[in-house]
Amino acid sequence: MDAAPTAPEMIEETERPLARVPLVLNKRNFSWLTGRISGVVENPAPRWWWVAFTITASVATFGLFCLGYQISTGVGTWGLNHPVGWAWDITNFVFWIGIGHAGTLISAILFLLRQKWRTSINRSAEAMTLFAVICAAIFPGVHVGRVWMAWYLAPVPNNWAIWPNFRSPLVWDVFAVSTYFTVSVLFWYTGLIPDLATLRDRATTKIRKFLFGLFACGWRGSNRNWRHYELAYLLLAGLSTPLVLSVHSVVSFDFATSILPTWHTTIFPPYFVAGAIFGGFAMVLTLLIPARAMFKLQDVITPQHIDKMAKIILLTGSFVAYAYTMEFFLAWYSGNSYERFAFWNRVFGPYWWYWWVGMLFCNCLSPQLFWFRWCRRNVYVVYFVCMCVNAGMWFERFIIIVGGLHRDFLPSAWGLFIPTWVDIWTYIGTLGIFTSLFLLFIRFLPMIAMSEVKTAVPEADPHYAAPTGIQSVSPVGKERTR
Amino acid sequence: MKRILQHPPESLTGKRYWRSLGELSDTPEFREWLEREFPTGAAELKGDEWSRRSFLKLMGASMALAGFGLNGCRRPEAHLVPFTKNVEWTIPGKFLYYATAMPRRTGAIPLIATTVDGRPIKLEGNPLHPASGGATDTFVQASILDLYDPSRSQRFVHKGKTSDRAAFNAYIGKLRNAFLTQRGDGLAFLVAETHSPTRERLRTELEKIFPGLRWVVYEPLLSEAQSFATELSFGGNVRLVPKLERADVILALDSDFLDCGQGSLTSVRAFSSRRRVSAAKDSMNRLYVVENRFTITGAMADHRLRCPASQIPAFAYALAGKILAATKDANLGAVIATLKAPAAAATPDDQWLSEAANDLVAKPGASLVLAGPDQPVVVQLIVYGINSALKNLGQTLVLREFPRRPSQNSILTLARDINEGRVKQLFILGGDPVYNAQRGLVEDRATGQPLDWSDLQKKVPEIVRLGYHEDSTSALSQWHVPAAHYLEAWGDTLTADGEYLSIQPMILPLFGGLSEIELLNALLGRPKTEGPELVQETFRATNPPGDFQAAWSRFLHDGFASHVQVQDQSPLFNASAAGPLAKNSWAPPPAPAAESPEIVLVGSYAMDDGRYANNGWLQELPDPITKLTWDNASLISPGFAKKLGVQTGDLVQIAITQKSARLGPIKRELVIAALVSPGHADNSITIPLGYARKMPEFSALPYAGGALKEEPKIAEQGGFNGYLLRTAANPHFIVAGGQGIESVSVRKLGRTYPLSITQEHFSIEGRGLVREATLERYRADNDFAKKMPGEEDLPHRLPSIYVHPPLDAPQQWGMSVDLNVCTGCSACVIACQAENNIPIVGKLQVAHGRAMHWIRIDRYYASRKPFNQDRGDWPEDPEIVHEPMMCQHCENAPCETVCPVNATVHSEDGLNVMAYNRCIGTRYCANNCPFKVRRFNYFDYNQRPVGKKKIAGALSIYEEYFAPLTTKGAPDIRRDGEMHLLRATD
Repeated sequence: MDAAPTAPEMIEETERPLARVPLVLNKRNFSWLTGRISGVVENPAPRWWWVAFTITASVATFGLFCLGYQISTGVGTWGLNHPVGWAWDITNFVFWIGIGHAGTLISAILFLLRQKWRTSINRSAEAMTLFAVICAAIFPGVHVGRVWMAWYLAPVPNNWAIWPNFRSPLVWDVFAVSTYFTVSVLFWYTGLIPDLATLRDRATTKIRKFLFGLFACGWRGSNRNWRHYELAYLLLAGLSTPLVLSVHSVVSFDFATSILPTWHTTIFPPYFVAGAIFGGFAMVLTLLIPARAMFKLQDVITPQHIDKMAKIILLTGSFVAYAYTMEFFLAWYSGNSYERFAFWNRVFGPYWWYWWVGMLFCNCLSPQLFWFRWCRRNVYVVYFVCMCVNAGMWFERFIIIVGGLHRDFLPSAWGLFIPTWVDIWTYIGTLGIFTSLFLLFIRFLPMIAMSEVKTAVPEADPHYAAPTGIQSVSPVGKERTR
Repeated sequence: MKRILQHPPESLTGKRYWRSLGELSDTPEFREWLEREFPTGAAELKGDEWSRRSFLKLMGASMALAGFGLNGCRRPEAHLVPFTKNVEWTIPGKFLYYATAMPRRTGAIPLIATTVDGRPIKLEGNPLHPASGGATDTFVQASILDLYDPSRSQRFVHKGKTSDRAAFNAYIGKLRNAFLTQRGDGLAFLVAETHSPTRERLRTELEKIFPGLRWVVYEPLLSEAQSFATELSFGGNVRLVPKLERADVILALDSDFLDCGQGSLTSVRAFSSRRRVSAAKDSMNRLYVVENRFTITGAMADHRLRCPASQIPAFAYALAGKILAATKDANLGAVIATLKAPAAAATPDDQWLSEAANDLVAKPGASLVLAGPDQPVVVQLIVYGINSALKNLGQTLVLREFPRRPSQNSILTLARDINEGRVKQLFILGGDPVYNAQRGLVEDRATGQPLDWSDLQKKVPEIVRLGYHEDSTSALSQWHVPAAHYLEAWGDTLTADGEYLSIQPMILPLFGGLSEIELLNALLGRPKTEGPELVQETFRATNPPGDFQAAWSRFLHDGFASHVQVQDQSPLFNASAAGPLAKNSWAPPPAPAAESPEIVLVGSYAMDDGRYANNGWLQELPDPITKLTWDNASLISPGFAKKLGVQTGDLVQIAITQKSARLGPIKRELVIAALVSPGHADNSITIPLGYARKMPEFSALPYAGGALKEEPKIAEQGGFNGYLLRTAANPHFIVAGGQGIESVSVRKLGRTYPLSITQEHFSIEGRGLVREATLERYRADNDFAKKMPGEEDLPHRLPSIYVHPPLDAPQQWGMSVDLNVCTGCSACVIACQAENNIPIVGKLQVAHGRAMHWIRIDRYYASRKPFNQDRGDWPEDPEIVHEPMMCQHCENAPCETVCPVNATVHSEDGLNVMAYNRCIGTRYCANNCPFKVRRFNYFDYNQRPVGKKKIAGALSIYEEYFAPLTTKGAPDIRRDGEMHLLRATD
């Protein structure tokens, strides 16, 4: 045990091969955690944040303009045609919904499995989920020809006695996505309450005190508070767990229940869920690797966390690769020439490079690097693979959707999809919305669940004795993140 | 006096019915309650509680409820104005049907017009008359749109300024007096072919007053070669009518007789009557086609030979030789004996020729050889000789007297007269000769320069033009008179077989247009007619039996005069006259080569000769063969394209050098996009005519004297003007060494032009989507279609573990199309558009793949040798199969299950119906449709301001999507790959 009089920046870990690697490095104590994490919210925004936010907000604004233009002028501003009735719109929808999977998986399933390492990443992963679902929800809403009539999708009692068609997977989508979003918001917010109370207690201005106080719901950290909180959290985790699996299964039904070659396949629900977790973890890492560096949170989001997420990417990536292979096998085994042709066309047809680059290289081959520990420990390699997976998962959805549509049964009706600038900028716009919301989130809310991370440090042990001489409370506002 | 409508009094006997017990008891209180608008107390507002304050409160809510400040929630207000006087026969909500006819250059089509509230909305064939039998073609179906064309001529124009009818009448009066003194010297008429007996009658009367007048009929696509040859071989004023239903073997030499625009509906039906096979005992005719490009007829052929159009004479000669050898017919011998055999290089595929000849010879009297009307006189003569040798005359080829006085003049003689200053006053009725007259009609007397019609028009002091559009001919005329649509005027006409039809107006002229006969009547100095007097007079001359009024009513009601009968006659071939003529006109052109290909000019399936240039339905109609919309293109074979290094969409420059005695070679050029067309003859280029017809605005162009440039500016035209290459000597094909042609060359320009083609993929990819078998196989096994390769691909053949719901609804619908007789003519596509008011979307949107046609005619190329289209292979010597594709009204419809809002559902009577108001446009139904026939309005196509040019200059994207059509009917243009617009810089 090191007994230095002040908290050092780096502490030499003694080599203990069989000991568990601590989840928070450098023996950070409660007060350091509180100070560092709250500091991100409380200190003035660093310059890079403003630069980044200006860019992302501009992109988001332009994306919203594109949406407005598309709604006011017509769906024809996108490159859609006959036979390709869905292209980037639904691709983006599935892409974002997929990304929205990692958060709840980390929060709910890993919580139920008592995976303590989730505590460092669950908050931002959940926030990411919400923002991704917001981006996703844009597309089924605006891709319809008459957006102002989109409420027909909802089962609103009406005097015409016409209900949505409950046989249609698009109606299931509406239910699945809205349920998922609602539960995710509740789950995220419930988890935030103790941390909001911390921020309230540390607040120096009246407005902050009021707002954090309002949203902290009068949290006092009492035993009763904690008991109710933990029960609620457990229940929500239990509620969210099936949703993680159901949402993307339902999304996959959009395709699986249709009759098109490459769409009509029973493998889709697990295939989509695996792909969603795959893509979601890649996006979590894409956001957290820069964030941890920018806010000097390397002690909380450690190489061990990255390593574990990389392993999940490797696992789900291999699921996905297996599913891709199985699709080809089933196409051959079915003996259906339309199905066989569709898969041949996927590899050698007009969109051949989408498959070679997107599905084969990005999704199947690049995660295989994570068999090697060195690759999992090297943030640059991890980041590269994550970017590959982000792109690859988008390509995968594009190949499934447009690949299935552009060449189906009658060759006379075959066509191609060429995106317009509105297509491209609507997608980039949602990237802007997503990143803007995430930047706002890390500015105004604790990006790491303080109360939960604290359970993963030695101090959480009731029998823990603090080393003498360490300041227990770091001075508020003194410590800057840069 | 106002009459209050009362319900009939209740009967005092029998059962009584009542609505409520109060009514049954019929107390005075109940009667009062019925009378009162509000229950007692409500109207009077008695009592203390009704203060002014509470009243205002209550009314405030009512006012808000009534829509104060809620204007956004209201629908636009529209007023229904009833007829102040009830129109005879009009019952609101009921259609009225009238018989009429559409005059056409090849013979009119009898029609039934559907009218609603005095407006014609749809045309169908007259089922009572054999010339239609209830059928129509693309042009008939689309002609209803021309009636409502917003850019049709709406005013009288004098020297570029708007004038009126009174001024024109005064002018005609003055003119008449002036020419009466000169006995019509210097007066000339250039008219289009309408086959109107009334027009003929008025012409005769005019010729009585003005003996010097020149009457010229000009139709760019009506060949004079055929009528000339017929006249000479069979005696004047006759027409040969093929009886296709009697022919077992048919050989068509460059003859597209199944194209309704060129041939007639009768021949299509007669031909198809021999193709309907529904039992083993049924037989079929056999069709041989020799042609340079795929035509509708060629697509139906059992055996098709690709042959350049200029080599048809050589083919006909070789065929005649074979048939002469077999039949030893003296007449045929007389025709071909004196002809010199063409060069050996030009002799076609001998095996094919022998087989065809043997087949023809084996069916004497039941075979038929047809030559395309555009082929030179000598080909017509040889073909008559062959038919005579095959004993077909009187059997499959009959003769009909045609009651028309042929004109002694042609546009060439008129051009000569104008050039020599003999024409002082010209009437141009219909047509658009500045656009479509042959180029280089005469040589200028002074300079020797070849003169086009536009130059000649400047040499005539006064021109009166009766035109449907203010086009380039009007721009060079002193007077422009708006023409009435055929649905707006009284008239009469003849069918292709010479039967007499009535034309009655469905509506008053929308823009005060005149018909031809009204104009001629005015020139005769007769009073203006308000009704059918002119036609009635002609009808009277046919001596209708019985009461005249009754006969006239019958004539209008039926649409034709059954007492005017034209009898079939057996033709007598005058070989002694044909022989010397054949010898004189025998000049078989040398075979075209890759360095000097032949150019073949043909009518377009959509634009005809250019008269439908402003018809959006036809502009957007995919060509039955090439599936090209909004444009024409030079069609070339894949092999020739490879030699030229040209792909579809590349611009090529076609240059023709003509010999001229005085000036040296004259060059004519045309820049045109190429379209690679499988099945086209090598070293041959086909250019459909009728595109790039200009409709200049009068303000922009001088009415006379100004230069009317015809340089093809790609940006401002829809398609390319093939007429620029067309001369009187070479109206059909142009080949080096032919009539006065020194050289023909084609050059790739290195630029591209966007073509909007609705079906890019022509390979059926080995799928069993179309199943064909020979008649023998069908007789052996009439269930063959289910045993074809490809059948095992169908999913329902695979064993399924899912129990499918039984498809046993009491009412199920199916629509079958007999692919054996479908020619792919696309009349159904336009008919569906007319019936359902389907919007056109413009060239750019078609290029985007957003055409809205509810019926599309899928065209696949079939080849004995498999080919891979994705790898760039082209089929060799392909056949064409047409497969019309439309909603199949699936009993277990995939579109219905996926619609999230129940907008597309199955109706109780088994139809697959669509509730537009419920549709929110997820397009899921379209994605899940295996036939890909669901259509989606990617924009508000019906509300787009057609014809508006610039909306927002800064936002060109706005313009792109909101105004893809210009007043010319010419589309916007997409630059290769990119969605940029090239717009005319005015």
